Amino acid sequence: MKRRDFFKKAATIAGAAAVGTNSAKAGITQQPVDTRKVSPVAFPEKRPLIMYSDRPPLLETPRDVFTSVLTPNDQFFVRWHMPDIPTHIDVDTFTISVNGLVEKELKVSIHELKTKFEQVEVTAVLQCGGNSRSAFQPIAGGIQWGSGAMGCATWKGVRLSDILDRAGLKKDAQWIGFNGSEKAAYYETPNFIRELNLDELDDHVILAYEMNGEDLPYLNGYPLRLVIPGSYSDSWVKMLSNITVTNEYKSLFFMDIAYRVPDNDCECETPEKKVEKTKPIRKMNVKSVIGYPTKESFVSHKSHLVVRGVAWDDGHGIQDVLVSVDNGKTWDKALLDDGKLGRYAYRAFRFAFKPLTLGKVTIMTKAINNIGKEQPFAKDIKWNHGGYKYNGIDEVTVEVI
Amino acid sequence: MKKLILIATLLASPLFAQVEEKVEVPYVAFPIKMGKGFDAIQTHCLMCHSFGYITNQGRQSKKFWRGKVDKMVIHFKAPIDEAAIKATTDYLYEHYGNGKLK
Repeated sequence: MKRRDFFKKAATIAGAAAVGTNSAKAGITQQPVDTRKVSPVAFPEKRPLIMYSDRPPLLETPRDVFTSVLTPNDQFFVRWHMPDIPTHIDVDTFTISVNGLVEKELKVSIHELKTKFEQVEVTAVLQCGGNSRSAFQPIAGGIQWGSGAMGCATWKGVRLSDILDRAGLKKDAQWIGFNGSEKAAYYETPNFIRELNLDELDDHVILAYEMNGEDLPYLNGYPLRLVIPGSYSDSWVKMLSNITVTNEYKSLFFMDIAYRVPDNDCECETPEKKVEKTKPIRKMNVKSVIGYPTKESFVSHKSHLVVRGVAWDDGHGIQDVLVSVDNGKTWDKALLDDGKLGRYAYRAFRFAFKPLTLGKVTIMTKAINNIGKEQPFAKDIKWNHGGYKYNGIDEVTVEVI
Repeated sequence: MKKLILIATLLASPLFAQVEEKVEVPYVAFPIKMGKGFDAIQTHCLMCHSFGYITNQGRQSKKFWRGKVDKMVIHFKAPIDEAAIKATTDYLYEHYGNGKLK
């Protein structure tokens, strides 16, 4: 029954739990927790990050990384669902299988992916649906992430549609199931499988073997992962090993129960009266996060401070990022970067601010996208049981000295 | 011939292949509260996930914790019997509860 004995692992390292949640007023959404420190433990190919669990690994990127469009691979967040991740993959023998309702079943090696298909690149934000969950009151179920369960990278690989074309979809093909290589501790536990409808899969969806010009890091899904620009990361299956085409939807835990929000306009409910009908979290909403300053920054009176951060949405594109330093009374436009990495990438923003008063000042940022959607204040975001899709106006309070 | 194969391999993988050997994910001992029912936690939870998964959920109601244990049994097929389900839930609520039954 037991797949392996985990306790044989390396020597114990003093635990660095990221315990601590919001304790503010019940029922009102707050700013996400912003007090967690990076762990003294570094995971394979990673710098020390904020750690919530070692098994499965759950690592968050600290705020100060979010000042540029691309998130470095060694600071990119990590989230797995199952404890048993293959600790070695032989890239020369690894293949991805394509089967089900196809004319010709395929087994494609990484080498074949790199040489027998058109190579494409997309820069896209990868964000956990539960990013910033710690903002919700009462505490929503799930890991109490701060704002760093996200990153943006340039992904290189091949189009999913090219692979499906090579296999040849049969007429009644409708659903594509994606299966990673991670395993549970018990054989009976269902695998982490995602199912996507053919209608959701456009040419931007790729199978990526490269991230920011390097092989995918082991903890980000080496040697191959699904990239679905604009969608939350729950469907970006890591260590992708199998693609199965079917004509009907199979009931799966990770599709039917996890990663869902109430199926109503506000996507909201109350703890007392949960909404029965739910829908997948799917597309990302508009959001911005401040990378600098952080609450630890030294900000000098009358200095030339440049506020920096990132803004993104599901691919409509960012129109503006507005900044307020007077608690939201007035807003000024930040400068946006040239956006040349495309509509699925972060837009880096910067804003010159000369603090003329001593003491605490709160910097707020609000992104607005090209269809006019803007970030609400945290307090106006309604609760959902899974704590998904928080996108409140970001705030950093600094002491001007 | 051998040389040719080697060159071909190098051309095919120009990037630094990071995973050439077995990767070890560090083991971290998360601090956890001791008390009645701890044995049940150690036996039934640690098989699949670290204590970090528990302590980083935040303080929750008894119903929430029972729901989490049920999820492990129903959806993840963890072999936990009724007595252990109760012991586990009681422990979680006592040490990581928010004082509310629901």
